[in-house]
Amino acid sequence: MLSCKFLEYRVGDFSLSDFSLELDKGDYCAMLGPSGSGKTVILELIAGLRLLKKGSVLINGVDYTYTPPQQRPVGILFQDYALFPHMTVYENIAWPLKIRKIHKSVIGTAVSGFAEELEISRLLGRMPGSLSGGEKQRVALARTLVIHPLVLLLDEPLSALDAPLRDNSIALLGKLSKKGITILHVTHDPSEVDLLANRRIFIGPEL
Amino acid sequence: MLQTRNNTAIRLIFMFLSGLMLLFIIAPLLGLFFSTSIPGLFETLRDRQVTSSIGLTLSVSSLFTLLSGIFALPLAYLMARKDFRGKAIVQGLIDIPIVLPHSAAGIAVLGLISRDSALGRFAELLGINLVGSPFAIGVAMAFVSVPFLINAARDGFLAVPERLEQAARSLGASPFKVFLHISLPLAKHSIITGLVMMFARGMSEFGAVVIVAYHPMTTPVLIFDRFNSFGLNYARPVAVLFIIICIVVFIALRLLGKKKNGG
Repeated sequence: MLSCKFLEYRVGDFSLSDFSLELDKGDYCAMLGPSGSGKTVILELIAGLRLLKKGSVLINGVDYTYTPPQQRPVGILFQDYALFPHMTVYENIAWPLKIRKIHKSVIGTAVSGFAEELEISRLLGRMPGSLSGGEKQRVALARTLVIHPLVLLLDEPLSALDAPLRDNSIALLGKLSKKGITILHVTHDPSEVDLLANRRIFIGPEL
Repeated sequence: MLQTRNNTAIRLIFMFLSGLMLLFIIAPLLGLFFSTSIPGLFETLRDRQVTSSIGLTLSVSSLFTLLSGIFALPLAYLMARKDFRGKAIVQGLIDIPIVLPHSAAGIAVLGLISRDSALGRFAELLGINLVGSPFAIGVAMAFVSVPFLINAARDGFLAVPERLEQAARSLGASPFKVFLHISLPLAKHSIITGLVMMFARGMSEFGAVVIVAYHPMTTPVLIFDRFNSFGLNYARPVAVLFIIICIVVFIALRLLGKKKNGG
């Protein structure tokens, strides 16, 4: 499903070489490693936000190595959620569909559907700045999910959340995983993926 | 105890120096206003030459500010986001008009639009003489004022987290859509400030404009012309009127910018 072969990348003092990863459809893979080990860089390489020096990224057998990020079937949830601060929650979730020139009524239905599923319907008129960490995460997830990505990349999705919110988010991510979406979850804390991951890989500083 | 006394003394010295600085800015303006009679001001308002020069100054400055934006904003964005060889040289080039004497800037612009230049010859083929035209005035205004727009917009783009642009790319947006929907709206406040600064700087330009176009007269040139030909009393009401207009336009644009930013 997701196949990363011999990825090579260099930026400043950081270098990654010969990194390979194979995930099947529906896999929930935890990528563990200390801060600065390059976990986020790997996600960005898969998402196409950084250009590989060598190697290839294939999804469902299609080579996306040189495909720009906007054409990859990949969704990424950033650690800081990266919600657009000048848009309401509704506009944030609707934006990926709006730029695809999808009809307003279809957008409305899709946004309502995901908002209901992620229990954020009451937040649709709010601005991101007024949301809590957990609410921001759900909005960012909804915004990513509306494009129906085949692969979902999560960059430390739980690190900014308090304990009760973490449990809610873990339940939510588990629900998503059961839908068959392939998830690559980056974290430095192995305990947060105990109930989620069926695969684990460790990224060491030696990379 | 000694510390408190020191603090008070420093505060008083700072307040005194600040007061002198503000007085230095305000005193000439107040002097100008108090030495101009209200009837004289109304008479100036009815003066066709004055009103048409004000109209010309405001319209040319606003038009060339907006036109410059089409080229300045992409340049500002590149300067904020891309690292390339010679970037420092490009930044230096952008800032050159700020440090040039304005008369020298006028001479440079004249070289660009005179009949000896490629642009001037091309215009002449179309039967247009660029020197002494509103186009020349606009080019001179833009030349000396566009760095304010580029630098303000660059700072605005720099303040937009790159993460948001990356998120937008991953959600399916092309680089142009990211620029249009994310970077531009988020840098809006700085861009508006830059546009206001460029517009204000352009409309008050004298040195460069007077070299490329004495006629038709912009208001700063008209003020100089009246001072030179008829003396201070004749130039003063025009100066007061233009200062009032500059201040009103400046405040209006600032308020508009704040309103649009929800602030």
